[in-house]
Amino acid sequence: MLQHLIKLIWNRKGSHLLLIIEIWASFMVLFGVMSLVTFNLDNYRESLGFEYEQVWAIDLSRNQDTVQTADKIAKVLQRIKSYPEVEKVSQMSSNSPFSFSQMNSSISRKKTSTLSDIYYADENFDEVFDIKMKSGRWYQSSDSVAKNKPVVINQKTADALFGTENPIGKTLDDNKIVVGVIDNFKAKGEFTKNEPAFFQLMWPRSEEGKIIIKLKSGTDANFEAKLVKDLGNMLVGWTVEVSYLTDQRQNQHNMALVPMIVFAIIAGFLLLNVAMGLFGILKVNIAKRREEIGVRRAMGATEADIQKQFVAEMWVIATFAVLIGLLFAVQFPILKVFDLASGVYWVAIVLAILIIYGLVTICAFYPSRQAAKIQPAIVLHES
Amino acid sequence: MITLNNIEKVYQTSTIETLALNNINIDIKKGEFVSIMGPSGCGKSTLLNIMGLLDEPTKGEILIDQKHVEQYTDKALALLRNQKIGFIFQSFHLINDLSVLDNVEIPLLYRNSSAQSRRDAAREALEKVGLSNRMKHFPNQLSGGQKQRVAIARAIVGKPDIILADEPTGNLDSAMGNEILNILLQLNAEGCTIVMVTHDESMAKKTHRLIRLFDGTQVY
Repeated sequence: MLQHLIKLIWNRKGSHLLLIIEIWASFMVLFGVMSLVTFNLDNYRESLGFEYEQVWAIDLSRNQDTVQTADKIAKVLQRIKSYPEVEKVSQMSSNSPFSFSQMNSSISRKKTSTLSDIYYADENFDEVFDIKMKSGRWYQSSDSVAKNKPVVINQKTADALFGTENPIGKTLDDNKIVVGVIDNFKAKGEFTKNEPAFFQLMWPRSEEGKIIIKLKSGTDANFEAKLVKDLGNMLVGWTVEVSYLTDQRQNQHNMALVPMIVFAIIAGFLLLNVAMGLFGILKVNIAKRREEIGVRRAMGATEADIQKQFVAEMWVIATFAVLIGLLFAVQFPILKVFDLASGVYWVAIVLAILIIYGLVTICAFYPSRQAAKIQPAIVLHES
Repeated sequence: MITLNNIEKVYQTSTIETLALNNINIDIKKGEFVSIMGPSGCGKSTLLNIMGLLDEPTKGEILIDQKHVEQYTDKALALLRNQKIGFIFQSFHLINDLSVLDNVEIPLLYRNSSAQSRRDAAREALEKVGLSNRMKHFPNQLSGGQKQRVAIARAIVGKPDIILADEPTGNLDSAMGNEILNILLQLNAEGCTIVMVTHDESMAKKTHRLIRLFDGTQVY
């Protein structure tokens, strides 16, 4: 029967060409959307590697003030630590988690190098973000006097530079020594890839960067007002800005979700178009093929056979379109386009195929049912 | 082979009720060649459709091989049509997008037969009607007589016991018409039971028995 249907569709290919093109275009857009969704969901399934609830980032801008700024910041840190609402305090470079700031550099060891995100942070950074060590330890301020400066890397960096070797105690090309390894560190949120990360000790009394505070649970916006007021009084002429990491995380999510939503809307319109096209074409097809339906019923086709035939014909048309689409889509995993894992593309291909066949089946179901209900005696008499 | 008892067929719309067949009693024996005649609109095609299980009577009994079929499901009726009955229509009803060979194969698609056996049976049927040289042609490349021969091949491909022909020569000139009738006579001689609706008295005379209808009623 399948061979018969393929022959029938092939002989009518001229009238089905537009539909095939439409399904092909929908398949390609769906493949794009599904790649994006799969990529983001794959990332989302991987843990962030740190905690951000009740964590605030305080951005201090000196503006024109150049007098004893390090002392002023030290006093501010002391003041912040004294609040009963504050659990932990840390100082780090401006590229704090979920911020839109990024620093990266090539880290190398024995002719192997990797592009890694660089974070300067003090000894309390791991406690503020509740970062669990995979091996080794977080560095201490006292490590700064050692000959080799201590660094902490994430597993991604360890894999790139050390392979299966244990990196603890080993030095990099610039004589920095790895004292600890953490697991993931996805500073730009759950939807981003877990990239190589590299942490090094922030110079004590640094005037740069941000202050990160972890608050006790239940602390509300009243404390923010009090904090900003106090710091404003201490740092006259400075700009004090407090950001909740939960809000910053949401902003990062929006950056990932907006393109997905836009593409999904485009794909939705295309699919709606295809659905209406399929529905219309099938209705017209059935009206034109009443005689054929009558003949088939007379020759022994049951109502179910007629319904199956029309649904199967749509599957055959969809298969033509999907096969053309596959010629393009399979290039993506083979060539690893956009540096994405090939698994993302394969999953997207499977999802796009399932959606196309699902849509075709839904659209073909009702008109095919109508075709099956056609009375053979009436249509054969009509024609 | 086919028995119709007290068949009545009424077509009903919201405003009009039309009596198409009234109190029809027919018994067609195995191996018979029966023709049905009557003026246009007298119910000949309706009667043939009821015999062919394509239409249901409003009242009455239908027996095929002494078995009542009134309560048969759609599936059982389709199976019976497929295995026992072959149809030939005045306007051929061939599918223009399929080759002659593919058209002839259609009844076998609804059986559990392999592609090869379908192909062989279709070739054999086409050889029987003298169209073995037109297998790859499409219906619109054939003359009326050739189309009807394809339709006959399609009707006999499944080796049915009964052939129901609705004015098979109605769209053909007399020479072609005679050719088609000769094929039907040959099939009947080979044991096939045939019921043919016709307007042509001379053709009807060549059959075993004639049933005449007038205004939905059996005249004799």
